[in-house]
Amino acid sequence: MSPGKEADASMSKRKKKTAARRKKASPPKQRRWFGKIWRLGLLLVGIFTGLMLPWVIYLNYQVTTEFEGRKWDLPSHVYARALDLYQGALLSRSDLELELKAAGYRAASDASRPGLYRVSGSTVDIYRRSFGFHDGFEESRKVRVRLGSGKVTAVSSLPAGQSLDLFRLEPSEIAAIYPLQKEDRTLIRIEQAPPLLVTGLQSVEDRNFKHHPGVDLRGILRAAFANLKAGKAVQGGSTLTQQLVKNYFLTHDRTIARKFNEAIMALLLEAHYGKSEILEAYLNEVFLGQQGAFAVHGFGQASLFYFDQPLDRLEANQIALLIGLVKGASYYNPRRHPERARGRRNQVLASFAETGLLTEAQARQQAALPLGVTEKPRTRGTRYHAFVDLVRRQLAQVYQEDDLKTEGLRIFTTLAPLVQEKAQAAVSEGLKQLEARGLSPTLQAAMVVADISTGEVQGLVGDRNPNRAGFNRAIHARRQIGSVIKPLVYLLALEHKQDYSLVSRIMDEPISLRQADGSAWSPSNYDNKSHGEVTLLEALTRSYNQATVRLGMNIGVNHLVSRIQQLGVQANVDPVPSIFLGAVELTPLEVTQIYQSIAAGGFSVPLRSLIAVQTADGNELVRYPLRMVPQPNREAIAVLNYALTQVVEQGTASALPGLLAQSGTIAGKTGTTNDRRDSWFVGYTRNQVAVSWVGEDDNRPAGVTGSNAAMQLWGRLFRQLPIESVDLRMPDGAYWLWVDRNSGLLTLEDCEGAVQIPFVDGSGPAQSTACMSARQDDEESFWRKLLGKKKQ
Amino acid sequence: MTHWPRQILAWALVLLLSGCASTAPGPSATQQPEVEARVREPARQDSDGIQVFPLQNPAVKELLADASNAEQTGDYGQAASYLERALRIQPRDPEILQSMAEVQLQMQDYEQALNFATRSYDIGPRVGEICSRNWRTISVSKEYLGDSKGSVDAEKKAAVCMNTKPRGL
Repeated sequence: MSPGKEADASMSKRKKKTAARRKKASPPKQRRWFGKIWRLGLLLVGIFTGLMLPWVIYLNYQVTTEFEGRKWDLPSHVYARALDLYQGALLSRSDLELELKAAGYRAASDASRPGLYRVSGSTVDIYRRSFGFHDGFEESRKVRVRLGSGKVTAVSSLPAGQSLDLFRLEPSEIAAIYPLQKEDRTLIRIEQAPPLLVTGLQSVEDRNFKHHPGVDLRGILRAAFANLKAGKAVQGGSTLTQQLVKNYFLTHDRTIARKFNEAIMALLLEAHYGKSEILEAYLNEVFLGQQGAFAVHGFGQASLFYFDQPLDRLEANQIALLIGLVKGASYYNPRRHPERARGRRNQVLASFAETGLLTEAQARQQAALPLGVTEKPRTRGTRYHAFVDLVRRQLAQVYQEDDLKTEGLRIFTTLAPLVQEKAQAAVSEGLKQLEARGLSPTLQAAMVVADISTGEVQGLVGDRNPNRAGFNRAIHARRQIGSVIKPLVYLLALEHKQDYSLVSRIMDEPISLRQADGSAWSPSNYDNKSHGEVTLLEALTRSYNQATVRLGMNIGVNHLVSRIQQLGVQANVDPVPSIFLGAVELTPLEVTQIYQSIAAGGFSVPLRSLIAVQTADGNELVRYPLRMVPQPNREAIAVLNYALTQVVEQGTASALPGLLAQSGTIAGKTGTTNDRRDSWFVGYTRNQVAVSWVGEDDNRPAGVTGSNAAMQLWGRLFRQLPIESVDLRMPDGAYWLWVDRNSGLLTLEDCEGAVQIPFVDGSGPAQSTACMSARQDDEESFWRKLLGKKKQ
Repeated sequence: MTHWPRQILAWALVLLLSGCASTAPGPSATQQPEVEARVREPARQDSDGIQVFPLQNPAVKELLADASNAEQTGDYGQAASYLERALRIQPRDPEILQSMAEVQLQMQDYEQALNFATRSYDIGPRVGEICSRNWRTISVSKEYLGDSKGSVDAEKKAAVCMNTKPRGL
């Protein structure tokens, strides 16, 4: 009917009524009464409308805001790196188990479902879950991994058994960045929800859902009747819409006023939104459990919480259990009250059978199954605070904190759980051991581990208790770095190839310098002795202060300051001579950056904790690609790399190999600051660089040296990691020469005292040893003889 | 009268689209042949069948193949992603680094192409086909970066990849 016609119709009705009134005039008394009631009625309607209308408008505002707003309030999820498994991967069985556990896998007698693994001797069967990796989705898959001698020896798919070149585990979720109210969601779309969940939920909670306008009078009457009959409240008449409203404003009082508000809001919701929108919101909103401080909302999340499975993999009995929990998630808590939960689940299954969703036989078969709930929900919240702190810091360059908390971003990071776990253990156990040796129990420590070639931070520890979220020393503690700076002084020397090589001689003797304030500065050596004429290599490997300052003064303070910056550290450094001995405050992360550049042969890669960020539904927002910045004079850096292996071989870190389980060429440098306040150790293998620091937070003397504290922690870590030897191949512009150990003169391999040392092109010794000259003379005479010429 | 804004909008859209079409051709259209023609093909010819590659891990091989397929379809970001994954497995593999350099060339990031090729050369065999690809990539990159002398020098170095014994081994 068009509006015009409707108006006509009501006009004609009114006319008829007036005509009828005129025809049958009522007696005056009756008319007066009627008028009174009429006026009273009008008054009541007026009062009702005057009070109620603003109230309804208010409720409307509240419920629609909630509905619209809640749809997008999703925490961001932070993932570790995905572990690649392939033949030859350096990984022990316990490493693999550690990674599996970190990713929420459970050991079982058979890897029969995604999320389970089975260990048998040196074989591990894994049923990987399906996962949207940062570079593509992969289906769930069952594989067999064979391990031996610290390596993966084979990967094959199950059950077929064909060999796989490459396979990866889905990454472990290391943190979720939450909105203020502590909730987590795994949002589902109505189309993705299992049909049995959608229909089953209605069959149990609201059979008339499709037809009622938000409130179901018949349902209320039916419930009231059932309750009367039972003498207590056994049924609720709330529709799904009302329950949704109730979930929005979680108050548990059962007052008439609240019920009334709920009903109004339910009607309003239905007026604004479609049934499927409301049902979808319900599926994602309903309260289904509690994990510590976190409320579990929605079926997607509940499925992970109880079964550690995505919703679409649940069986009928598991869906029934979740639907059953709607009635009372804590009363029917299947972990705490398994019997109650079982009873409730079977009630729901019966209801499925009653409404024809399952056959009687199916329902019986499902009711006989165990609950199938995991023993413990997966660990929630942030596991690796210090690392996540770095992630947040690097994310903050692109994202607002608010986006992180509400946009449901998927954040892929570089964290290697097994490196992180081992670094944490190395720090806490290492400090305990230092305490047992008489050092202070309040010592603090930090550690950073990174991949040299990719700059990916694999682990980061910022506190002696890694589970404590607080001051993150790896990122924020600026401490003097002591002798850890010395390699840069020697690098600058090696860059002056006309003047210096590793065998050049310098004087290690008392030196006095005038400082800016006029006072004199006379550094002494660690052993309070001067060692006279020494080679650069000796001075560096034994960390002689006087020789280093002398060398530094020949090069210039400003050169060192700009070299530090060139190596990727943007710190303010005072150009004073004491920086040659490390009077510069840097964080462990900054020190790692400097040494990444050196260890990578002069290819600086900004240290990164991020690989990519995606939207909640898997679209890539940002990728953090690998980028390199080449350093000048890479040939000098290569020569320095060799010198740093000698620190471990025969210098201040010579105790390190004794701390390790494997042999291999390692490069490193110890660092100690004045009055033993700070202990540093920087070390690297072929592919990993790690920095550790130990000291007191208030910077008081701590009795620590580079080798007695930080190196111990470093050793503890690398005793548990594979050690691959440092790559000592020289690039163009540098080469190995045989020189005499004592004189530094050019010699031959089989002359006595011959050692092989790398030189920057043009810095090699000009003269040779007597042994070499004699050999050359011999050779010459051989040729002369051969050619028939006699020596004159 | 009311149709005017809509018409203007439509014309603006047409102009905008035609502008896009004429000024921004897909990089794959021009770059793909260049990397092939100026880096890979001549390097193949130089090497004359001599390969100096170390034995390759099958996992890395698979990723290199994936990267190559992604590159063929013009999805350079994905190609780079595969190569990064390969680098996590073998961080010092000159072949992966050189492939990355070529993908950077495709993405017209000449600075990174130069850096990856240089790193590949530094830790690579410094002879044979890969050496030739290293220098040819460096040459093309330097040319785009405006260093024509450096580009010519690099081209010359590519030629000697086949007949010099590398130092420092």
